Amino acid sequence: MVDISTGLVAMASGLAIGLSAIAAAIAEKEIGVAAVGAMAEKEELFGKGLVLTVIPETIVIFGLVVAILILNLAKGG
Amino acid sequence: MLKPHEMSSVIITGPNSELEAVIKEMHDMGVLHIVEHSKNELADTGKPLDSAGRLSETLVKIRALTAALSIRQEENRFELKKGLPEIESNVRKIGNELGALNDELKKTEELVSKNDAVRQELEILKGLNIPLENFTSYKSLACFMGCINEKNFRHMNGELSKTTKNFLIFKSGEKRKFIALFIDSKNREDAGSILNKNGFSQLNFSNIGGFKGTAMSNLKRTGEENARLQRKRAEIKNSVEKLANGHKAFLAAADKFLSIQLEKAEAPLQFASTPSSFLIKGWIPSGQLNSSIERLNKAAKNMIFVHFEPAKAHDKVPVKLKNPKYAKSFEFFIDLYSMPTYREIDPTFFIFLTFPIFFGIMLGDVGYGITSLLIFWLLKKKMPKAGGFFNILMLASFVSMLFGFLYGEFFGYEFIHPVISREHEMFTLMYMAIAIGIVHVNLGLAIGFINELKSHGLMKAVYEKLSWIILEIGAALLALSYFGKISISPLIGAVFLGLSILMLFKGEGVKGLMELPSIFTNILSYARLMAIGLSSVVLAVIINDSAKEFFHQGGFFVLIGVLILVVGHIINIMLGLLGSFLHSLRLHYVEFFSKFFHGGAKKYQPFGMKED
Repeated sequence: MVDISTGLVAMASGLAIGLSAIAAAIAEKEIGVAAVGAMAEKEELFGKGLVLTVIPETIVIFGLVVAILILNLAKGG
Repeated sequence: MLKPHEMSSVIITGPNSELEAVIKEMHDMGVLHIVEHSKNELADTGKPLDSAGRLSETLVKIRALTAALSIRQEENRFELKKGLPEIESNVRKIGNELGALNDELKKTEELVSKNDAVRQELEILKGLNIPLENFTSYKSLACFMGCINEKNFRHMNGELSKTTKNFLIFKSGEKRKFIALFIDSKNREDAGSILNKNGFSQLNFSNIGGFKGTAMSNLKRTGEENARLQRKRAEIKNSVEKLANGHKAFLAAADKFLSIQLEKAEAPLQFASTPSSFLIKGWIPSGQLNSSIERLNKAAKNMIFVHFEPAKAHDKVPVKLKNPKYAKSFEFFIDLYSMPTYREIDPTFFIFLTFPIFFGIMLGDVGYGITSLLIFWLLKKKMPKAGGFFNILMLASFVSMLFGFLYGEFFGYEFIHPVISREHEMFTLMYMAIAIGIVHVNLGLAIGFINELKSHGLMKAVYEKLSWIILEIGAALLALSYFGKISISPLIGAVFLGLSILMLFKGEGVKGLMELPSIFTNILSYARLMAIGLSSVVLAVIINDSAKEFFHQGGFFVLIGVLILVVGHIINIMLGLLGSFLHSLRLHYVEFFSKFFHGGAKKYQPFGMKED
C-alpha cells in the first residue's frame, strides 16, 4: 500500500492534466464548430481553421507540465 | 529562396483587329497573370469574341450528355481532327441517338407499369373460375365485387337470403374473402345497403375491361408480355451504355478542347476596351519578360504596344514562390495558409528545415519511422498527384527514424542504449524542447525584424520586433538573478523589462501590452515536442508489456499477444502520425508565423497555364 500523501500527489497531478484537458476540449469544441461552418462557405479557410482549432491545445500541454512538476516535487521532497 | 520570383507589371495595348492573335499567343505562352479590369468612365470591359456563344452552347450540350450518359472524366488520347464543326455535328448525332433511346425507354416503362396494374387485378380474380367477359354489366343483373371478412360474409349471406332468392355468389380466399355477387337488378339498392353494413369494400377493375377467358389464362399471357418488356428495357439500357462507351473519349476530349477555346474567347471580359482598341494589364515574371514581349509583337505583326516596369512599392503583386527543388514540396503549407506578400520573406525554406525535425522529435521511433516511410512511399506511387505532400511526410518519417536511433526505440522497445531516453528523462527533453522553442520564436522575430525593416524602416522594426527580444532577455536576467544563478542585481533585468515594455507600447500600442504574456506561452508551447512523444512512447510500452504477458503464458495466448502487438501499434502509429503532423504544423502556423507573417497576397496564376 502507498501512503496517503503519495496518493494525494498522484491525484493532484491527475487533476492538473484532467481538468486542463476538459478545458481545452470545451474551447476546441466551440472553435471547431465555427471553423467547420466557415469551411463549408469557403474551403480555402482550412489552414486558418486548423490553426485556430488547435490553439487551445496549449492548455493541456501546460497541464501536463504542471502534472510532471508536481510528481517531481513529490519525488524530491 | 526566401524571396518570390521578381515580377514586372505589363500593359499591352493594340487595335481590336489583333485581339484574337494576342489572346492566342498569350494562352500559348502561359506566363501573363491578367489583372481584371473594372469598368470605369474611361474604358468599358471587353466583349467576348464572336465564337464564345457557339462554344459555350456546345460545351453545355457536351456536359449535359456527359451527365446523362454518366461518364466519368478520365485521361485519354482522343484526337479531334476538325475542331468545332466536327464536335458540333458529332454532339448533335449523339444527342439524337440518346434522345431516341430515351423516348423508347420511357414508352417501354409506361407499358411495364400498365401491365403491372393489370396483373394486380388478375391476381385478385384468379381464385374465381369465371371467364372475365362475364363481369360486364347486364340488364337484369347487378354485379358487386369486393372484399369482406369471413364472419361478416355469413351474416351478409343470411340477410341477402331474407331479401331475395335470385342471387349468386362466387368467392375465393380464406379469412378475408374476395366475392363476386350477382343479384337481380331490382334488389340492387337493398343489396348495396346490406353490403355496406357488413363492412364490404368494393374493388374496381378498370384495367381489364374487354379481356376474355379466365383470369388464370390472362395471367399467363401478361406474364409473358412482362418478360418481353423487361428484356426490351434491358436492351435499351444496354445500348445507352454502348453509346456512352463508344463516345466516352470523344466527349472528354471535346470538353477539354472547348473549355480552352472558351477560356480564350471569354478573356476579353477581363480587358479594358474602347470601340476600336484593347488594353490588357498584367504581371510577367521579370526573367521571361523580354522573350514574352518579343513573341507577342511577332504574333501581332508589331501592331501592339507593350509597356513594362518593375513592381512599385504599393502594387498588389501576384506571388510566385521561388524555392530550390528539395524545398519546393513545402510550399504546400504556404498554400494551405496564405500567400506571403511580394516584399515579405517567404518562410518555405524555414519550414523545410524545422518541420521534419519537429515531426521527428515527436514521432521518434525507428520502427514507426520505417513503417510510415513505407506507407507514404506506397501512397505516393498510388497518388502521384499528391506527390509533394507525400514527399514532406517521407522526409519527416526519415527524420523520425534518425531520432529513433537517438532515443534507442524500436516500436517502443529499447533496442540500443539510448543517448537520451524519452521515458525516463522527461525533464531533459522538456528543457530541450523549450530551448528549441526559444530559438524558433526568436528566429521568427528576426525574420519579422527584417520584414519590418524593409517595409516600415528601422525604428518601427526595433519597436515592434526587437522589443520582444529585449523583453525575453530582461525576463531571463530577472529570473536568473532572483534565483541566485548569476550575481548581478535583479534591477538590471527589471530595467531591460521596463525598457522593452515602453518600446512595445510605442510600437504596437495597448494591444502590444495585452499580448505581453503571449511570448512566454508561445515558448512554453514547444513543451509539446516532449509531451506528444512521451504519450506515444508510453502507449507503445504499454502495448509491448501487455503482449509480453500473453507470450509468457504460451500456446494459444501467443496468438492473442501477436494480435495485441499488431493492432496496438497500428493505432499508435496512426495517432502518432496525426499528432506529430498537426502539432508540428501548429508550431509553425501559430508560434512561428505570428512573429512575422502577414500574407494575403494573390497567387500567380498565368492565363492559359496548363494544369500539371
